[in-house]
Amino acid sequence: MIRTLVVALFSWLIAIGHPLPAAGATAITGTVKNKAGQPLPGLALLEKGEIHNNRWDRGALVDASGRFRIELSDGGQYGLHVYSDGHIYNPLAVKVETGKTLEVEIVLVPEPTRANDPLIKGFRSEKRSGKVTSVKLEVTDPNGDLGPQVLAFNAATGRAFAMDPPRRVWSLKSNYPEGVYQLEVNTSKAPLEPRDWHFVVADHQCNTTDILSFPHEPKPPRVIGQ
Amino acid sequence: MMRRVLLALTAVVSAVPAWTAAPSGGTDGARAALVAAGEQWWARSPDPRNPVACATCHHDPALTRGWAASFPKFKPLPPPDGRVMTLLQATAEAVRRHYGLADPEPVAVAVAAFLDRQGAGLALSPGVAAGQPVFEMRLRALAASVARGRTLYVKRCGDCHDAEAVAAAALAFPRVVGNRAESLERFLERHRPIGRRLSWDSPATADLIAFLVSTLAGPRTGVEASTDAGAPARDSAWRVP
Repeated sequence: MIRTLVVALFSWLIAIGHPLPAAGATAITGTVKNKAGQPLPGLALLEKGEIHNNRWDRGALVDASGRFRIELSDGGQYGLHVYSDGHIYNPLAVKVETGKTLEVEIVLVPEPTRANDPLIKGFRSEKRSGKVTSVKLEVTDPNGDLGPQVLAFNAATGRAFAMDPPRRVWSLKSNYPEGVYQLEVNTSKAPLEPRDWHFVVADHQCNTTDILSFPHEPKPPRVIGQ
Repeated sequence: MMRRVLLALTAVVSAVPAWTAAPSGGTDGARAALVAAGEQWWARSPDPRNPVACATCHHDPALTRGWAASFPKFKPLPPPDGRVMTLLQATAEAVRRHYGLADPEPVAVAVAAFLDRQGAGLALSPGVAAGQPVFEMRLRALAASVARGRTLYVKRCGDCHDAEAVAAAALAFPRVVGNRAESLERFLERHRPIGRRLSWDSPATADLIAFLVSTLAGPRTGVEASTDAGAPARDSAWRVP
């Protein structure tokens, strides 16, 4: 009897278009701040699986109040990397349970010098065919220890990408070359919207560029006060 | 006694970065000096062009206190280099990368001693650090390392040494011999090698130590460290006055 009533209730809810109770979302949310507790805006990007595997997946902008939220299709192990201008990026291995939201608090410290930071010299996009646009980033590094973290983030889709180096690099631990890194973007359905794209680069010693956002004009890095 | 400690400390601090050249006082004094040198290295980069030190990012002692007790454990270096490492090996890898030292071992020994001291009183918890999530894949890698280490121990050491006795003695490392600090890893490299030599920073050495530590930690392998666990503490030899 009860079973019949429950089935009837659900059938009625579906019939009137009322949404069934959804399972909880799988997500990572967090707060980014400095040691003094002040919020920091920036970028939060995720590797799927073990941290430092360079398999970039999702991401989010960190807003002016230091908050971010990344929705995930499934739970599991992720490598969370948080970037903010003038600060050393923070890598954190996290585990997210499916259907739950993981809350993290990230504290970033300022870079004592910007002299060793990689530099993004310029950005451009080139339409290669009707379906593909190539996003290009020229990167240099004063101490020659660039790593695989030459990253692009599309805020419209929430997707994060490692950009392809100018020549093949055989090991993720190798020093990556300076030059033009690129990413091929499928633009068959809509043209590339530059405002959606954000870039950041970090070397093997965690020296980190400022985040390059639209209009993608690099500015001289400055040291943030302690 | 206090004077001896101070003398040893002064000698070590003034000798930084060449700790191994420093004269040591008595055993306690030399250990205290080693820890002090490690703290210096932790707090200050040797490279004036790159002043980022360990403590720049790892500034909260509450978050680093459980590190030493959690080794050996899987360190997620970029693939395919992720593997089980000892505290010394992981520290050496970080020191080489961040401080740009061609020979990271002396500095890594001192920093590892400092981290050991920082975790004083915590029970061994190989594979798991307090406040950090537990990843099954990493624990499986540690279990495989312990199994390899057991096989290696039987082959290389078992004829002469009881594993539990050796494991207990291993807690006395790093020790000070003459005026040099000697890590367990380096001792194993030099000790009566049967078959091929085990380099101090090799995966095989990590396996051997993972097995020895697991005989002490027992079921705590893969269980979060605490102060009331009653298991042997990593810092048995590090009760610095």
